[in-house]
Amino acid sequence: MRTGRNPAKSGLEAYTPKELGIALILYIPSQDGYFANALEIFKMQIASLKAATSQPYDLLVFDNGSCRAIVNELRELYQAGEITWLVLSRHNIGKAGAWNWIFASLPNPYIAYADADVLFRPGWIEACQEILKAFPQAGMVSAQPNFYDVMDGQGQAQRALENNSDYQAESYQPSIEVIDEYCLGIGATPELAERFHQQPLPGIQHLPTETRAVLGASHMQFLIPNSVARQVTPLPATKALLRAETMSLDHKIDQLGYLHLSTRQPYVFHMGNTINERLLTEFQQITGAAPAIPKANPNPQKQPSLIRRWLSRMARTPGAQRQLQRIYNLLFQILHSDNR
Amino acid sequence: MRLGQNPAKSIEHVPQPAPVTVAIVTYIPFLGGYYAESLEVLKVCLESLYQHTPQPYDLLIFDNASCSEVQDYLKNEREAGRIQYLILAGQNYGKGGAWNFIFQGAPGEYIAYADSDIQFFPGWLERSLEILQAYPQAGMVSARPLRTPAALYSSTLDWAKIAEDVQIEEGSFILWEIYRDHVLSLGISEEQARQWYDSRVDTRLTHQGVQALIGAAHFQFTLRKVVIQEFLPFQMDRPMGQVRALDELMNTAGWLRLATCEPLVRHMGNTLPDSVKVTQLAAATSRPRLWDQPVLRRTLLRIYDAIFRLYYAR
Repeated sequence: MRTGRNPAKSGLEAYTPKELGIALILYIPSQDGYFANALEIFKMQIASLKAATSQPYDLLVFDNGSCRAIVNELRELYQAGEITWLVLSRHNIGKAGAWNWIFASLPNPYIAYADADVLFRPGWIEACQEILKAFPQAGMVSAQPNFYDVMDGQGQAQRALENNSDYQAESYQPSIEVIDEYCLGIGATPELAERFHQQPLPGIQHLPTETRAVLGASHMQFLIPNSVARQVTPLPATKALLRAETMSLDHKIDQLGYLHLSTRQPYVFHMGNTINERLLTEFQQITGAAPAIPKANPNPQKQPSLIRRWLSRMARTPGAQRQLQRIYNLLFQILHSDNR
Repeated sequence: MRLGQNPAKSIEHVPQPAPVTVAIVTYIPFLGGYYAESLEVLKVCLESLYQHTPQPYDLLIFDNASCSEVQDYLKNEREAGRIQYLILAGQNYGKGGAWNFIFQGAPGEYIAYADSDIQFFPGWLERSLEILQAYPQAGMVSARPLRTPAALYSSTLDWAKIAEDVQIEEGSFILWEIYRDHVLSLGISEEQARQWYDSRVDTRLTHQGVQALIGAAHFQFTLRKVVIQEFLPFQMDRPMGQVRALDELMNTAGWLRLATCEPLVRHMGNTLPDSVKVTQLAAATSRPRLWDQPVLRRTLLRIYDAIFRLYYAR
């Protein structure tokens, strides 16, 4: 039975959400192979967010079934006050499945989403908000020029601007450095990089405010008004990371008449799963601190043997690459499959 | 940069949500005073849920900034595979705020909500779902018969009077012992409980062969997710005391508020039921105590609240 009075009923104020909610989805099933640096990269992301975000925000981390060591690390970050809401999903419910949670339940008026491997630079939120202000029809705004048209030229929402004298379409050629950085982030092949260098991006300008943006946004990172996010759920979620499922977000946004836009300058950088000197230098510039990278192996690497070098060369042939990928994926599924 | 392909892309299928999400909100800021037994109560709550819920379900716990002992326990339960979604909030988000989060995010077609001081008995979910399915207009179904204010079930009564194939019976269908057990768990005196019991009657409905009593409560209920979404978001600027709005909104919107005829859940409050008590509390005395004097009691409560506020504001 109830004894005494619940002190929580004494009229205390509950926590009020901030204007901006930032949501990150994390999935690190192990700390080796593809994911060997994933935790350090995620910590760099959180630190860069803290240093580069000029306004208060709530941070939600949705852990999509990571291994125990990662969950423990997340709890430490949560206990240190770095995370406002920590969602620990027992299973990987897919990126779209996690989006369904985030978009439906985050209470903040603006939701900034990012994959767990994105470095934030100062000015990212201001740049996105400036675009949202100049383009009230914006549904998603990325803080990096968008190079891929996920709608394959079929987007309808932007047509509404064609007869609006406040807006002017214009092509935009990013600088070589911006393109090279983007290509580095996604690990683009030389052929793909060449295509990006040759092809200008579709831009648009809001004439009264002279606000310029690139048409298109990226799933890797974007700002979405809560009112739009609420309208796009539920998204189909049957696989962990299926392009068709994540793209259903774009189709819904477009069908609802909202624009995909991005900034002309890169205010975020896709760190991926590797850490190099260039990244470390920039991280230090943003945060003023060096990341806590685990110490390197004290034993210097030996020159690989002749057999190993030959095997490496063989592994890079297209046929062998496919087979190795299949084996790797199979092992991954065996090691990290849910037994549900 | 990205090196290699993310193996997550090779995962063919991800687990699909169970039809029912059982959602529980916890708030135990420290293990003392009012909350001295709350962790043990929570353990009874979850153990009884595991034991008496054979249907497939996902368990979602929203922890509203509890102390580390409680979070450790919840984390262990998650690691043992018993909690599918554990949400840890850095600050108390209010019960309304937690409801906003879970009712919008919970993936199940049905959501069975319970406070963290509820004990579950066999058949609680089965009977709740049976009523929801037999009464398509049912908004919320509690798994315990209750006598609630008439103003909160007027729509249910109105519907029953005009609906076809609905049998309405009035009488005393809730046994005194069952009524007493619940009302005393709220900290109400036996005298007051008796007075309430004698002054009210129950209304029992039968539709499609399924019986239900009129009235539901917000400490435990099952509903369709699509129904609760009509009422979101709830106001959430206080930790407690604003969730009664759900009962009013549900009734105003014309949804039925129903309960099972049998007590299939029990409100434990902040102390363990005698049957599972692990610590002996000091025997209560029937003699009036000094601190029961209204003036002294109010003063002590103020001090108690002040201490809590200090703790809360850390």
